[in-house]
Amino acid sequence: MFVLKPQSGIPIYRQLLEQVRRMVASGQLAPGTELPSVRELAIQHAVNPMTVSKAYSLLEAEGLLERNRGRPMTVANRPKNAAQLSRRLQQVRPLLEQTVLAAKQLELSEADLLKAIREIWEE
Amino acid sequence: MADATVQGSHLSKSFGQRSVIDDLSFEVAPGEVIGLLGKNGAGKTTLLELMLGFTPPTSGTVNVFGHPSQRLPGAVKSRVGFVPQQDELLDQLTVADQLRVIESFYSHWDGELIERLCREWNVNTAARIKDLSVGERQKLSILLAFGQRPHLLVLDEPVASLDPLARRQFLEQLVEISADGERAVIFSSHIVSDIERLANRIWILKNGRLDWQGDLDSLKDSIVRLHIRGAAEAVAGVEVPGAISLRREAGFATAVVRDWNPEVLQSFQGAHAVNVEVESLGLEEIFLELHR
Repeated sequence: MFVLKPQSGIPIYRQLLEQVRRMVASGQLAPGTELPSVRELAIQHAVNPMTVSKAYSLLEAEGLLERNRGRPMTVANRPKNAAQLSRRLQQVRPLLEQTVLAAKQLELSEADLLKAIREIWEE
Repeated sequence: MADATVQGSHLSKSFGQRSVIDDLSFEVAPGEVIGLLGKNGAGKTTLLELMLGFTPPTSGTVNVFGHPSQRLPGAVKSRVGFVPQQDELLDQLTVADQLRVIESFYSHWDGELIERLCREWNVNTAARIKDLSVGERQKLSILLAFGQRPHLLVLDEPVASLDPLARRQFLEQLVEISADGERAVIFSSHIVSDIERLANRIWILKNGRLDWQGDLDSLKDSIVRLHIRGAAEAVAGVEVPGAISLRREAGFATAVVRDWNPEVLQSFQGAHAVNVEVESLGLEEIFLELHR
């Protein structure tokens, strides 16, 4: 369900955080969906269990996941609202910043860049 | 702290004039997996042997479950598992006999676990130990340490001779062992990618001192490579605080910094009129950078 790259410079718990956030925001993980247990996920990816439980705890604190006694964690029920849009935008912002920086260094105009994004969007 | 599995305080060890371990203080709690990294000769094996009480410290102390490691009561010793770099198997025995010999020392031997692992790891229990390959000997040494379900597991280069498949099976089992949060693992290896998967804390031993001791996550956050671009004179004047290396070309510089704080990025770019791209580093690159 998740793609974890232990050799990346991004700590594993943060890779997991970002993927769950993205999948919840996009609806790929619907409210009520059960997540694999810490143990299952750790063994499946051969990673430290504490790093998985750290990600789950942070996601619980954010209100994205719910802990259920004796059962797997589930995606929390949350009303869809406008806050979700800004939250989703927030997640692509670092990528956009990087792209804009690169475009400026290459002396592309704003119009050039937007045109390229539109083309990719429509592919 | 009464709960510490291992606790070292100002631990030093010299052989003659040569200082190998120099004033180390550390603590290992249940549930932690410590990845011990260091170049050849950095003192890793000596540090592990001090913890296990195989050699006395020159000064300082190291306690295991609250007891000085030199004088561990039998009940404490039976909670400690060790996989040495050089195995201590008895060549004339069969695998099954060797397992039985070790089993007889422990009242809490997990025969079911060992039976399952022998099957999954393709260990031929009828084979004579002298006929085993180096990798097979290593597997057996690991099984001997796993069988007593230790609360402290110390592994000194346990996987150097294992093939990738056997290494992965070993790592999965190590995750199982640490998953209950009650056991501590200290794991020295040159296979950095294994440490990167399994460890939650990293110790980097350099010249007998802990050059880094902390969470793997914070290590990755605090040692980063900066790619700095801007006008030639702006880049030439850039000072990078905490840089462990800095390379400049016209209009371009690369720096590796310790103790990076992402919050200073904006002000740094503003103050020097440069653009900075932050590259996060994998553990192997961090290790290399710390040894340049």
